Order: sequence, then C-alpha cells, then structure tokens
Amino acid sequence: MKQAHCIYQDDEHRWLAIARDPTKPGYIIDTNEYVIIDGDEALLCDPGGIEIFPSVFSALSAECDPTKLAGIFASHQDPDIISSLALWLEFKPELKCYISWLWQSFLPHFGGTDTTFVPIPDPGMAIKLGGLELQAIPAHYLHSSGNHHLYDPKAKILFSGDVGAALLPPDQNSLYVEDFSRHIRHAEGFHKRWMGSDKAKRDWCERVSRLDIDMLVPQHGAIYQGADVQRFISWFAALEVGVLRG
Amino acid sequence: MRLPAAREPGMNAPERHLKRTHRRSGELAGIVLVNEEIKAIVATAFRINLMALNAIFLAKRAGNAALGFGVLSNELRRFAQDLTRRMSSLRDMTSGSVGSVTGVVQQQRSTAILAEAIRLSGEGVPGVREARKRGALRLAEQQASLRALDMRLRAAVEETQQLVELGGVLARSAKIEAAYGGGFSPALMQVSTDFAEVIAQIKRSLEVLGKERLVKD
Repeated sequence: MKQAHCIYQDDEHRWLAIARDPTKPGYIIDTNEYVIIDGDEALLCDPGGIEIFPSVFSALSAECDPTKLAGIFASHQDPDIISSLALWLEFKPELKCYISWLWQSFLPHFGGTDTTFVPIPDPGMAIKLGGLELQAIPAHYLHSSGNHHLYDPKAKILFSGDVGAALLPPDQNSLYVEDFSRHIRHAEGFHKRWMGSDKAKRDWCERVSRLDIDMLVPQHGAIYQGADVQRFISWFAALEVGVLRG
Repeated sequence: MRLPAAREPGMNAPERHLKRTHRRSGELAGIVLVNEEIKAIVATAFRINLMALNAIFLAKRAGNAALGFGVLSNELRRFAQDLTRRMSSLRDMTSGSVGSVTGVVQQQRSTAILAEAIRLSGEGVPGVREARKRGALRLAEQQASLRALDMRLRAAVEETQQLVELGGVLARSAKIEAAYGGGFSPALMQVSTDFAEVIAQIKRSLEVLGKERLVKD
C-alpha cells in the first residue's frame, strides 16, 4: 500500500509525497501524488486513477485530516492524473478542481458539476491555499496541450507533472534521485516520446530556470533535489523530444 | 453469504473492483436484453401488419365466402398497429432507464471503492461516515427510481400481454373462418396458421420481458 512521506515541513506548511505502492499490480503505471498543506487547508496534486483511490485516500488520511482538502490540482487530463475525481467528490462534494481551461468541459466525463472546476488560463494563475499563494506555471504541450505545473515559492518546490518522470525498475524505489546519471536513463525514453514540442520544452526550461527551486517533484519516478534540479533542466533542454524511437 | 470482497484472498484491489463491477454489469445487460426483446416484438408486429394486409387482399379475392375472414384480418392489422405503438412506448421507457441503471452501477462502484478506502484508513478518519451516508442515500434514491421504472415497465408488459391475448383470439377465430373459405380455404388456413405462430412468438418474447428485472434484488 502507498505511504505518505513528508518531504517538506515548516511549521504548519507541509508537502507530502504519496508514493511507491508495492502491492499495485504491474499493469497500472506507478504514480506519485502530492499533498500541500498550509494551516487548515490542503491541496491534492494529481490525485491519480480510480483503482488507486483507496490506497491514496488511506495514505493521505494517515497524515492529514482529509476533510481539510480544499481542492485538487490536475496538471492535465490523463486518466492516471484525475480519473479518481468522482471518488474524491463522493467524499467531499464541494471540492474545487483546478485544471487548464482547455479541459474544463472534458473532465466532467470523470465527474463533477459546473461548480467543481476552476479553469486555469494559459498563462497560469495564483492559487490560494491557507496563507500561501501557489503559482500554476504553464507547461503546455509537455505533454498535454493544456498543461500546468504548480510552484510553491515558500517551500521552493515545483510539482512538474510528467516532466521529470522516470519509469523506474522495481529494484529502484528510492523516493529521491540518488545517482542522476543512472536515474536519467529511465527518464530518457519517456521524455523523448511523450514530450512533443521542442519549442514548448525550451520555453519551459527558460521559465523554470528563473524560479528558485529546491525540489522538482514529478508524477512518476523519483524526486530531484538540490543540484539535480538544475541538472535535470539542463538535460531536458538538450534532449531531442518528439521522436518515436532512439 | 459472500465474504466481503475486500477480504477475498489472492486478489488485489483493482481485481476486486472489477469483479464487483462485472457482477453489477448484469443490470445493464438486463436492459440490453429487454431492448433486444422489444426490437424482436416490433419486427414481428411489422410482419403481422404485412400478413394482415395480404390476408385482406386474399379475403377480397375469395369474396363472400371469406367475409368474416376479411373482418378478422382488418382487426389483426389494427392489433399489429396497436402493438407497434405499445412497443414503441416500452422502448422509450427502457431507453430512459439506461441512464438510471448506469447511474446505479456508477454509484455502486463509487460506494464500493470508497468503502475499501475507509476500510484501509479506519472508521475514525474525519468525514468518512458522512461520505458513506451521503453515498448510501444517493444510491437508495437511484435504486428507488429504478424500481419505480421497473414497476412501470412490468405493468406495461402485462397490458401488452393482454393485448396479445386478444391477438391470439383473433388468430384462432381467423382459423375457424378460414374453414368456410371455400376454394380459398387452404390458403386462408395457411395465413391464419402463420398468424397464430407469430403471435405465439410474441407471447414468448413478452414472457421473457416479464421475467426480466431492471433491479436485481
């Protein structure tokens, strides 16, 4: 079963990473979910698919009061990102779901009503959580045509959705990247295939290079911290993307 | 009694949900079966309509000897038209019920997954009791509306069965009248036997419809 790991804490401001599920069947891609807590409010980033809901809910509940969930941030529309939406709404019907405006009328196929969704405009927006002001950062075409990442300027953490994702073999289950060169081999094929636009990639690299980031937390694989963050951005900037093979 | 699905050995969470969903998809399959039977009856009613038209022409050709047969053929044609109208309203009813059944199936699935989440998290987690209550209430409402629809459907099927009984009587009377058809008697007998066969076919389909339930107890 998944477990919540506290990856950042400063008084009442916390980040939890819900990651690594050894009991998950192999045919479902492994995902990381993140919970940002500030005081009495929590935001769940990319809550995951229907089938892992019990495991994510249980891990979240072990570390924080789930009734404090104020919203869900969905980096994009994929099923492994947000197909559990109806179940979270089953638990708390008044939850708000932040998603690119592009997907606002698509996501109700997973659940929710006209009051559930808060559309994020293309340039991004500020999202208030407790005393924090989080920033939805544009990451369009990486890989989804309407895609945002979430930056926490206080914790200096960037939730980067599928950017930075690595499909790790079962024996490499560390929460953090331990050896960048070894780790990045598991990210290369994924980024080449899934990231379709070189221009979008360069824009993103420039944009996030201007941010002060201590941790880059992707939706799959391990967390980049310290110097590995810039190492990843440089690696990604140089990577040829949108290729079928090689 | 079944073991709670969550405790079935050797199954992971997705497999358990799949099994539960599969069991409940029987309700949706029930709707499909009802629709298929209705389609079959509509097609048969159309056949009776054509057969009745032919019978009317045949009776006209037979002249005075088949006057009674002609009247019955007209009645059979009217019966076929009534049956088509009834089946069309039954079809509207079941088309609407697809949404209700899907709603119940979805709600049951959500409730089951939420129950699994609560089992893993423990009953003490804030908000879970209210969420469970809300889900159960919604499910009960959806099931009640589906039950009401099921009752309306059954009542409509029973009314149609009565109509078909009348059709059966008409077909039997046509057979008797055919005996007085003179030289046309064998042809009229053949037509009335065909009537009786297709009406028996409709009866069988209606029996299947009558047994099918939109809500499984």
